[in-house]
Amino acid sequence: MTRLYLALGTVFGFILSRSGAADYDFIQGMFLFSEFQLYGIIAVAVLVTAPGIWLIKQRGRTILGRPVSIDLKPLHRGNVAGGVMFGIGWSIAGMCPGPILVNIGEGKIYALAAFAGALVGAGLLGSLYPTLQRPFALPPLKVGTGEG
Amino acid sequence: MTLILHGLPPLHWALAGIGIAGVTLALLLLANRRLGISTGFEDICSLALPAPYFKRAAVVSGRGWRLPMLAGLVLGGFLSAVLGGGWEPTWALGMFDTAVGWGPVGKLAWMFVGGLFTGFGTRLAGGCTSGHGIFGLANLELPSLISTISFMAAGIVTTQIIYRVVFPLVGQ
Repeated sequence: MTRLYLALGTVFGFILSRSGAADYDFIQGMFLFSEFQLYGIIAVAVLVTAPGIWLIKQRGRTILGRPVSIDLKPLHRGNVAGGVMFGIGWSIAGMCPGPILVNIGEGKIYALAAFAGALVGAGLLGSLYPTLQRPFALPPLKVGTGEG
Repeated sequence: MTLILHGLPPLHWALAGIGIAGVTLALLLLANRRLGISTGFEDICSLALPAPYFKRAAVVSGRGWRLPMLAGLVLGGFLSAVLGGGWEPTWALGMFDTAVGWGPVGKLAWMFVGGLFTGFGTRLAGGCTSGHGIFGLANLELPSLISTISFMAAGIVTTQIIYRVVFPLVGQ
């Protein structure tokens, strides 16, 4: 299975690299409303994925016959606060999490700094979780904020 | 507009969207996995940090599939560069070079700050563009709609401030 995940990640990374989703200028163009590209990509991805997920849930089993169960993400104040922080970070770096890794692969040296920042940021969130839990009404530690 | 990477023309947005949907659905149909990249940062942190948050079953059990997928993302970017004109280390940063014009040290600092907000923010929100924006929206989840609206709005405001106020783009 490891090879399957590696292969799917590679395909995903190639598409992100060649579509503009991992390109600083296309991300700024999206936020400046001067480029349609990223809006088109996200809209098509969601509109094709939605009926696909519905069909897979109807089927109820994976190809290998194991049950399909999707863990839903919890609702909490971190959705807004964290979302706003992420939006600021996405604008500054011009990369969201997947594209940080894609840009490293492409040879963009500065993407290593974004990666280091992201690990420090995730490390801080995890270390401060018990403190942040009450102000942001976060779920119990073993549930977390939501996987993905 | 062309890509910073070798000035390549981008894939058509519809084709890219269908491809991303294909990867998302393949993960679910083949392996019962919900697409999400930002939790991979926690998986990497869990290799080094002792905080109880990183010892959760949800994090530890995800490492076996998320870490290979993250490695795949790097490999995909590498192959894209190799097949698109050759791989070489670069500092090129498109309109940042035109409008802001900082050198390598400034870029590293800028990117570290962007990464810091991204790492902390995505994990506080419980997901990023893939987990909330693609999978969560496609699965009609309210927290994902709220998060997606929040990060899109904040991204729009931040970029408008950077490129229309602080470092205005000439002629655009």
